[in-house]
Amino acid sequence: MNSMSLYQPRQSLIHRIDPISKIFYILAAVAVPFILPTVTVAVICLLVSAVILLLAKVFRKVIPLVGFSMVILLSVVVIQGLFMAENKIPLFRLGPLIFYQEGLSFALGLSLRVLNIISAFAILVLTTKPSDLIESLVRKGLSPKIGYVLSSVLQIIPQMTATMGTIMDAQRSRGMETEGKLAVRLKAFFPLIGPVVMNSLINTRERAMALEVRGFNSPVPKTFLNQEFKSAYSKIIQWTLILIIIMALVWRILGWLK
Amino acid sequence: MSKKGMWSLKLTTASLVLIPAAVAINFIGKSFAGVLKLPLWLDAIGTVLASMLAGPIIGALCGAINNIIYGLTMDPISFVYAITSVAIGLAVGIMAYNGWVSSLWKAFFVGIVVALVSAVVSTPINIGFWKGQTGNIWGDALYAILIAHKNPVWLSSFLDEFVVDLPDKIATVMISYGIFKGLPKKLTVLYSNDNKTETL
Repeated sequence: MNSMSLYQPRQSLIHRIDPISKIFYILAAVAVPFILPTVTVAVICLLVSAVILLLAKVFRKVIPLVGFSMVILLSVVVIQGLFMAENKIPLFRLGPLIFYQEGLSFALGLSLRVLNIISAFAILVLTTKPSDLIESLVRKGLSPKIGYVLSSVLQIIPQMTATMGTIMDAQRSRGMETEGKLAVRLKAFFPLIGPVVMNSLINTRERAMALEVRGFNSPVPKTFLNQEFKSAYSKIIQWTLILIIIMALVWRILGWLK
Repeated sequence: MSKKGMWSLKLTTASLVLIPAAVAINFIGKSFAGVLKLPLWLDAIGTVLASMLAGPIIGALCGAINNIIYGLTMDPISFVYAITSVAIGLAVGIMAYNGWVSSLWKAFFVGIVVALVSAVVSTPINIGFWKGQTGNIWGDALYAILIAHKNPVWLSSFLDEFVVDLPDKIATVMISYGIFKGLPKKLTVLYSNDNKTETL
């Protein structure tokens, strides 16, 4: 049974770091450019993330993640470059359209911020097995029931996507039209989603009973199958990142006081 | 046994197991809408259905976990929009608990409310991340026209989101209503937490 995830198994330094430290990194990568909103800081953060991704040998895999937001970022650049309210200084012309400096530089800052967030998350998502991530969170105090729910979603979705094709073929062979006018396609939605919903809801009944029988609801503290991954570096990394955030805050406050 | 209120945090196993099913239904709804090339997202059917079945808390949890999983497996920006999904789950759950899911026309009205809630909650996030744009062609085209005519960003952004959300959420709620009405009592009784003994 394969679980749905972006995890890339590799032998790298970054893969050996525990998931909680990576979450701390995301916090730092999001907080520092927020506290010090200059282009320089954003670019530095982006470069740091890029280096980490290279170290983890997963740099190429970031491209599909970024691709999701690329389209909207492009449209932001175009629309803000043309129409942003504060636009005053024109930068260049494309036929009848004038692109303004303020809009374009704003869009640049915005894009850097989004790319920063995506890269920081990518480090977590591409180098951590979801089961390890969930286990670390449960060790830190997340309710094991929620941990179960998260794990089971990752397993259920590939199962259901596999049945999607079967259901479509089955309904098509019974005369359901899937191409044509909007009304026709809209009508086709119901016989497709119906069996899927019924199937999954009926399964929940069985699953709930199976879990109950295995002590899901018991208030006794659960024990872990795997040994805890303890590393001296975790504490150092986490404290360093907190220190960086504090230093950024201090820098900003000093800037105000000047 | 006392009747548990709408905000009871006591989650039964059946309700918790509903969450993965609901997230999967969200996912499949979105996939089918894509395959059929429908101009709607239809990615919240599971959340809305779970809210109708098990109340606002489970609905909100479904929404949150839905976005967390999307964030971990496809698009990290989804994490932030978890707030919107939570709001949708809460809105439908509260209205369903108060009897607003009893006829197709009421479902239509709930759809409008959900679209409003979704637009109101998403607009600040949209403004913070994309200066008000949403990534949807029609919505952003409207936004561009409004901005070009010197309208305030918050209004342009809100209309951008609302114009796209309205048909989508109305369709979502009405489809969920249709499914909800068609479910056998054997299933719906699992999640209802009023501790009433069902009689024929």
